[in-house]
Amino acid sequence: MKKVTIDPITRLEGEAKIDIFLNDEGDVADAFFQVTELRGFEKFCQGRPVEELPRIVPRICGV
Amino acid sequence: MNKLKVAIALGSTCSGCDVAILDLNEKILNLVEVADIVYWPTAMDFKIKDLEAFKSGDIDVGIYHGTVRTSTHEHTAHLLRERSKAVLSFGACAYFGGIPGLCNLSTKNEVFRTVYQDTASTVNPDFVTPQTEVKVGKFDLTLPELKDEGKALRDVIDVDYYLPGCPPTVMLREKLIPILKLVQGGELPPKGTVIASDKTLCDECEMKKENKSISKIVRTHEMIPTPGICLLEQGLICMGPATRGGCGTPCIKALVPCRGCMGPTAEVKDQGAKMISAIASILGVSEEKDLSAEDVAKLIDGIKDPVGTFYRFTLPVALINKKVGVK
Amino acid sequence: MEGFEPVIVGFCCNWCSYAGADLAGISRIQYPPNLRMIRVMCSGAVDPALIMEALRRGADGVFIGGCHPGDCHYMAGNYKTLRKITLLKGLLPQLGIEPQRVRLEWVSAAEGQRFAQVVTDFIGEIKKLGPNPWKGKNNEQAESGHRSGIDMLRV
Repeated sequence: MKKVTIDPITRLEGEAKIDIFLNDEGDVADAFFQVTELRGFEKFCQGRPVEELPRIVPRICGV
Repeated sequence: MNKLKVAIALGSTCSGCDVAILDLNEKILNLVEVADIVYWPTAMDFKIKDLEAFKSGDIDVGIYHGTVRTSTHEHTAHLLRERSKAVLSFGACAYFGGIPGLCNLSTKNEVFRTVYQDTASTVNPDFVTPQTEVKVGKFDLTLPELKDEGKALRDVIDVDYYLPGCPPTVMLREKLIPILKLVQGGELPPKGTVIASDKTLCDECEMKKENKSISKIVRTHEMIPTPGICLLEQGLICMGPATRGGCGTPCIKALVPCRGCMGPTAEVKDQGAKMISAIASILGVSEEKDLSAEDVAKLIDGIKDPVGTFYRFTLPVALINKKVGVK
Repeated sequence: MEGFEPVIVGFCCNWCSYAGADLAGISRIQYPPNLRMIRVMCSGAVDPALIMEALRRGADGVFIGGCHPGDCHYMAGNYKTLRKITLLKGLLPQLGIEPQRVRLEWVSAAEGQRFAQVVTDFIGEIKKLGPNPWKGKNNEQAESGHRSGIDMLRV
């Protein structure tokens, strides 16, 4: 089975890769978009004072 | 003179640092006069195999932004180091871990448990979590490994230069161009140079500083500060005394207290420890003879989230930089 | 925990608590030897970073001894100590370290018996807490090698 990998996706914020699997005829058997990062904002924002969050969560995406 | 070859690689980033470089606006033309950008996945279609294809010394200045959080980020950092003559750590995350470094307060399991199960909008009854290898049908998939902690770049590779800030402000990133011109001319700044000021923010800050004692800590939503007077003296926690200057104090100019995104100055080992000393020097000073231990505890209690305030950007390079011994 | 002998690092101020410890010694007062003492001129000079570094390097407990409030040889040093240590202890739980591992005591130069007593008490508390989880971990902070900022005006 042939695989075409696009690693990483480019020209945007965020990290991910795409694996495209081809069957013997050369047609796409399946394709997977995989996000390759995790920072855990959902976790470390817990316990922070609410008035500080507007200064923390913009760092999710700088664009 | 030959144009420099510059690469811009990333770790765990929000890409604010990429945008900061793009926000050079028309000055980006000055940048490309000096340098050819030979790798920049955020802005152009470069793949990791392009970085792998370079040989040692092919890149003059390798710029890295983002925390080192996964095996891919480590791999990229090592690649950049091997292929580059000089490595520049760009932004708070690469320099000292940045906000993603706050992940060090939890274990990987705790993070997965929250992100992939406990959050209100998540439906994941089988608690499926990212695996480094998984088979879906007849297809083998891989993911990078999430490390147990976030690290600063200098804890993974040897770094030559640093540009702090989250993101580096206009004043700082415009320095990139004359610095690259120096490198082009062979006049490399000494290794370890930080492209910012030597002194703390307070030195640069235009607010009036008069009264060296405060009786109460105030949360930022509890007051509208008086312009022109030091924010710390008004009771707001401002990280200025423990933070490197050179950013131009845009936050203070907006009457918003500093949160330390420029990191500590060169001699300071631990930014949070420095801030503890700074606060202790001015909190409750004029009445200190009359305060009991309980009164002091009540005063200190006004600081609601010490770690999140004092170590917001620098936890991975702190002395106590993560939770250990917790399963 | 069986057989656990805590390593306690102590910062004792020259004028009061260190003298108190000296008095305990001269008076031949017996107490466990777990405390490794560092003499400082004033408890107010103890940088929180020193306490954190001791914990990072695996010290099971850190003891700070100062003069009684009002008696500081440098007038106000120990008031600073109280504020610093209170703030530090408030921060440690967020980092996963029990605040009871850091102990601040006022001991005067005449209180040899008291010095021995508070140290013995502290050692007992640490024995109950168990070893510092940082023991044996990667204890060396990476040599940063980062230096001063360049003068913004020169470039």
